Amino acid sequence: MDLILPYLATLVVFFFVYNILTWGLNIQFGYAGVLDFTFITFVACGAYFAGVFALGPGSQQNGFEWILGLNLPFPVALVAGALAAGVLGILIGLIAINRLRSDYMAIVTLATGTVLYGLVSNFTPLFDGFDGLAGLSPPFAQALGLNSNQFTYLWVVVCGVVMVICWFIAQRILNSPLGRTMRAIREDQDAAETFGKDTVRVRLTAMAMGALLAGAGGALLMGFIGAFSPAGWTSGETFVVWAALIVGGRGNNWGAIVGSFVVAVLINEATRYIPPVSVDPTLVPTLRNMLIGASLILVLWVRPQGIIPETRRRFLQLPLRPGTPPIRGAERARG
Amino acid sequence: MGLIVQSVGFGLVTASVLAVAAVGLTLQFGVTNYINFAYGTYLLLGAYFTWTLSTKAHLNFVVAALLACLLMGVVAVVIARVVMQHFVSRQAPLFYLLIVTFGLSLILSNVIEAIWGPAFQTYNLAVGNPLILGPFSLTPNQIIIMGIAVAAMLGIHLMLTRTVLGKAMRAMSDNKDLAQVSGINTDQITTVTWFVTGCLAGLAGVALTVTTVSFGPASGSNFLFVIFAAVILGGIGKPYGAMLGAVILGIITEVSAVLVSAAYKDDIAFVALIVVLLLRPQGLIASRGRA
Repeated sequence: MDLILPYLATLVVFFFVYNILTWGLNIQFGYAGVLDFTFITFVACGAYFAGVFALGPGSQQNGFEWILGLNLPFPVALVAGALAAGVLGILIGLIAINRLRSDYMAIVTLATGTVLYGLVSNFTPLFDGFDGLAGLSPPFAQALGLNSNQFTYLWVVVCGVVMVICWFIAQRILNSPLGRTMRAIREDQDAAETFGKDTVRVRLTAMAMGALLAGAGGALLMGFIGAFSPAGWTSGETFVVWAALIVGGRGNNWGAIVGSFVVAVLINEATRYIPPVSVDPTLVPTLRNMLIGASLILVLWVRPQGIIPETRRRFLQLPLRPGTPPIRGAERARG
Repeated sequence: MGLIVQSVGFGLVTASVLAVAAVGLTLQFGVTNYINFAYGTYLLLGAYFTWTLSTKAHLNFVVAALLACLLMGVVAVVIARVVMQHFVSRQAPLFYLLIVTFGLSLILSNVIEAIWGPAFQTYNLAVGNPLILGPFSLTPNQIIIMGIAVAAMLGIHLMLTRTVLGKAMRAMSDNKDLAQVSGINTDQITTVTWFVTGCLAGLAGVALTVTTVSFGPASGSNFLFVIFAAVILGGIGKPYGAMLGAVILGIITEVSAVLVSAAYKDDIAFVALIVVLLLRPQGLIASRGRA
């Protein structure tokens, strides 16, 4: 019992964090159709900025160097990380989102992510290069006098609270006029533009909100693990979130929960506890990655809408009978 | 100054590798009308095939490289027929295809790691003494790579302009439906295109890994978007544009490696990509049509 409970709690933490991440990608891609192939970069941005807000100043003598080092309490660092990721989302969006084909969007996001990865890894004064941030003591643990197991339980609660906030944000956007505009752009950008929607601005908003959630998730990971380095955000990690969204069902946030459970918890995290094969220690991780890639292609093959499909919304029932009073929803539709 | 002139020489070597890869990617894009995000792993797979054939099966390096290119063409066709064809024939939205190729790149790079392991490999090739050619000093291997690239480009040019196959490819690239009603067997042309571009990917992979000397399972990933940059610079789907883009990018990245730092070579390529996207998204060689 002493071993199983903390283990399960750890899985719950990852499940909650991946829910937040998958909702973030859902806002970007599921709502607005932005092909963000560098989602993990926003997670990393949140983790790094939360880290440098919460950690003390790095000292060059000890070989640890990073910017800021403000020693602020974790909740402040969490908000800072989320906001930093949101700003990065707008910056990358400004390059990626233009009136060109969606191929360009995918290429530009992927390229930006690769460049940022190289920059953060090579330029040590920023976030200590390949070594990354380390040494963040578990937030609240000292003040509350918790041991490491109790801290894990505490983190389940912290992640749960942040997750509920993110759920309300994601659902609020989904059901708002903004969310409707996003879906309209996803379905037909030209048509949405014809109706006077500023498609670039709306997709930038989606990019920023999705990145905000990604940053919050990254900050939670930083607080839980206490360290973050480039090894934690390779492009394969982006794929885990993508697979979670596609497998679970994009465009609705329940599907994202199912997907993050199946992909991120069952396949990605739980298999980390399979003992490595002695002859080939990289076999289990490579098989896991192949499985994630295959599950995504398989779902697109047999059930492209995902496990829980997006419900088709009926806005106006046609044909309209003459004398039908104006539908109340019609007033709200002006986003 | 001498260093900069010398780096132009290296730039031409990089440009040769880049041109072969970029022409392959852009040719496939023109005919199939979607970007293949697994293309970087195709390059790497070609390099590993060559490595196995030359160091494990003890074949002559040239024979091994040739066989690996053909093998890579077959692999590209098999992947296209088995996986991509399913989505293309159902007229799936474009993003399905992009996500599927993105997924394929993850699967393939892990297949590579599972088969060949995470360690770095090198070919059994003599580097040779550098030869002085005018202002440049290049190794025999580098000169051979440039020669092969020029030959490949010439071959592609002749194929596109002189053969029925090449004309059909260009017709499909212009307008697939019109090509089909004109009696072109678009299915067959697509398959042949995958084979040709798969071979080009294999060739580019071998050339790339000969110039970098050692290579590992992650080697293709950074090069992929230098290829993208060359393709977009030249105008997506345009083989001659890709050649021009490759030459420009090859020289820019190598000269910048001398002027700034070799660590930021990729970033320079990225800046070039962004500038082109913002100022001239249709590419340097503009024409009516896509983008």
